[in-house]
Parts: sequence; C-alpha cells; structure tokens
Amino acid sequence: MLIKSTLNEFIKIAAKPRSYLGLAAITVLVGVILFALKADGMSFISFVTASFEQTLTFEGNILNGNLVAFIVLQMLVIHIPLLVALVTGDLVSGEAAMGTIRMLATKPISRTKLLMSKFVAGGVYTLLIVIWLGIMAVFVGKVIFGSGDLMVLNSDGLVILQEADIGWRYIGGFAVAFLALLTVSSLSICLSCFSDNSIGPIVTTMAIIILFTIIGTLDVRVFDNVRPLLFTTHMASWRSFFEDPLPVAQIKESIVILVIHNIVLILISIFKFNRKDITS
Amino acid sequence: MKKILWLILIAIVPVATNAQDANQTISELINKMHGVKDYSVDALITSDIPMVKILPSKATIYFKQKDKFKIDSKGIAILPKQGFTDISKMLSQRDAYTAIFMGNEAIAGTNAEVISVFPVSDTSDLILAKLWIDASNDIVLKSQITTRSSGTVGIVYTYAAQKKWGLPDQLIFTVDVKKFKIPKGVATDINRTGTTDSTKPAAKTGEIKIDLTNYKVNLGIKDEVFTK
Repeated sequence: MLIKSTLNEFIKIAAKPRSYLGLAAITVLVGVILFALKADGMSFISFVTASFEQTLTFEGNILNGNLVAFIVLQMLVIHIPLLVALVTGDLVSGEAAMGTIRMLATKPISRTKLLMSKFVAGGVYTLLIVIWLGIMAVFVGKVIFGSGDLMVLNSDGLVILQEADIGWRYIGGFAVAFLALLTVSSLSICLSCFSDNSIGPIVTTMAIIILFTIIGTLDVRVFDNVRPLLFTTHMASWRSFFEDPLPVAQIKESIVILVIHNIVLILISIFKFNRKDITS
Repeated sequence: MKKILWLILIAIVPVATNAQDANQTISELINKMHGVKDYSVDALITSDIPMVKILPSKATIYFKQKDKFKIDSKGIAILPKQGFTDISKMLSQRDAYTAIFMGNEAIAGTNAEVISVFPVSDTSDLILAKLWIDASNDIVLKSQITTRSSGTVGIVYTYAAQKKWGLPDQLIFTVDVKKFKIPKGVATDINRTGTTDSTKPAAKTGEIKIDLTNYKVNLGIKDEVFTK
C-alpha cells in the first residue's frame, strides 16, 4: 500500500508543471555557466590562480570538465533548495488548499503511511534533481571541456587531484549533497503539515535557510555553539570530498547531523499530521 | 708619478682581464647552447611548494632554436614561471647586459666561475642574474635570477648523459612563495574553522624538482608541435 501510495504521490508530482521548473532551471543555469566558462573561463581561472602565477605557471588543461563541474556545483548547490522546496513544500498543504486531502485521508491507508509516501516521493524528486544536476555539470561539462586533473582551493592552499582520483569524490559529494537537499525536502514537507496554503511552507523553508546561512556565516562567538548544529552549515559538506587528505571525521559528523535532522523533521511531521484536524 | 701610474695599471689590469674572462666564458656557453638546435625530453615534475598539494606529474618538453618552447602535459603540472629558456634567451642578447666575473666557487665538488649579469636598461624586468659556470665543460651548474615580476628563482643543474650538449638530467628550482594568498570566497572549506595553525611560520620558498629522461637531441621537431 505504501508503494502504491508513493507511486500515486509521484504521479501527482509529475502532473504539476512546477515540478519541471526545477529541471528546466538547472538546464538553463548550467547552460549559462558552461557558455560563460567556454567564452571567458580562463579569466575566471586567473582570478583564482593570480597569486600563484606571479612565480609559477600551470601547465595542462586546467579548465576541464572536472573543474567546470566543480564550479557549477559550487554555484548552484546553494540555489537548488529553492527548486526542491517549490515542489516538496506543496505536497501536504497543496492538497489542503485544493481540498483533496480530506478525500485522501479516507483511503485505506494510515496517515503515517500516507505521509511517509509523500516523504519518499519528495525524496525521489530530490534525487532526480541531483542526478540531473550531475548529468548537466559532470557529463555535459566533460563533453564540452574534456577531462583532466581537478584544481581546487581550500583555506590551506591549492589541491590538485589527479583525474583517476576524482570519480569517487563526485559520487560521494553528490551523495552528501543529496542528503542535504533531502533535509530541505523534509523541512518543507514538515512545514507543509502546519499550513493550509501552498506558498507558506515554500517561503518559510527559504526564510529558514537564509536565516541559518546568515547565522552560519556571521563570525560572531555567540553563535559558535549553535553553528555546528544547523543543517545549513553541513549543506556545503559535499566539498569536503575534494580535500586532500579526506576529512573523514568532518564528513561523518555532517552526515550524522543531516540524518538526525531528517529523522526529527519526519517525526514532527508524523506527530502533527496524525493530529491534524482536516476540515478543508 | 711613475709609481702612481704603475699602481693604477696594476689595479685596472685584473678587472679588465676578469671582464674579458666573463664575456669569454659566456660566449663559449652560448656557443654550446646553440649547438642544440632542438630537443624533446620526458619530464617527471615533483613539486614541494607550501600551500600546494600535487602529486608528481609527467610531461614532455619540446625546444627548438631560437626560442620555441612547449610543455605537453596530460594532467596539471606546476612549473616555475622562469628558468627553462630564460638564461639562453637572456645571454643571447649580448648588448642587453653586462657580465662581471665575481670569483670562483666549488659547486658539488666542481670548480665554477661565478658570473653576475646586470641588465643595461633600467626598465628591464631582470634585476640580477648570478651564474655558476663550469668553464671547462661550458655548462651552468647553478643560477639565481632575480626579476621584478617573479622575485628570485634559484636553479641547481645536474648533468649526466647529455653533458656534451649542456642539457641537464635534473633541475631543482627554488621559488619564492611569500606572496601566495588564497581568496577566501573560492575556498572549498569555507565553513571550516580552526584547522590552520596560524602560529606555525609559513615557508618562504618552494622546491620543484624536474627529472629529465629520454632526450632526443637535434632529431628535428616540426613547428606545428609548438602551435598545437
């Protein structure tokens, strides 16, 4: 029954035009970035390597598909939550707004299972978004720019990763990026349980992300204890896969915090949805 | 009066002789360099530069007189901005510098003539080049080039099989790295705090070692190789 309900939920997602907005937006955004890098990518690279190039020269294909994919991900992963929340924030409250939730609640399935099917459908949609982003960034990037070693910057300096050592890093990075976006999906579905209109949970999700991001960015001591607990702090953890040596403890910590966020948000949603007085 | 003239003559003659020696040594060095019309060589580049993590990379280096130079690397390789062809290019412009013999010094057990090269022009990028030359084999054993744009780059040359052509089998570059700064906005670990030990003094020089093997000298290289 859960599988059927999940399939049903996914059909509903697929039937909404806004669900394709995310995929279209990724296509256009990545297309624009790829075009810009193809047209004037070396000046962007020079900005990054300027302080090194006074003394050193970089030989080889620096502006390759791997670097382009990294730049695309760095630019877009911050904006993707909006595209996810646009669909998942509507999953419960949208039904309440349209008046279909009452009929849905009469089906021979528990409210918990019904809600879980929405979480699973939201998760699948998020996964599709991440996969599409991966295809556009990594595969299309490599087709246009070719392959090569990846040059990344961290606060300790410049790290150059060999081409053969990059594939698994992208898989790990995308997996953590998916987990971070799944947290956004869970947050928006959770907020959706508290609302009876479509737009409220979407806007609230984005407001929370902006607020947490500001708290995370502000270098103020009063937030030192809070910052590591915010899911937004760990949304950029996919980039840890491109450090050398790999900060395993940091990645594990991020995964644990994101998983805890997901569990807590799902539990809150189940608690609220089971007690929701459906009057619409 | 005669005594004074003799004293002046005694003081001037060694300087003039030394200046002549420096020019002669450099002329012979240039002649040897020009004996190599072209070459290609496989390079293994090992970098030990503060703030840069990179595994050794392989490349092929192509050179053709007068100044065609290309490094073909499949992956990313880091090399010093100057040092490969700069010395031969600089020394070939005989009117652009003044060479002064500074004395003799032993480099790895070999007696070397120390020659300083000063640019004639005030606006030249080159400030000073110091060369340690093995005059008996007409090869550069060590060099130290100071330019306005790149700071000081030191190079130690090791010769083996290609000594007759004046081509080294190993080059060790020492580069100035004190100017390196990472833009915070493009760092991957922007959220991480407290991992960098700020109390640890930052290294001021980096080392790039290039092992050169499989020389192909004067076999002819097409011009297209340098334009690809």
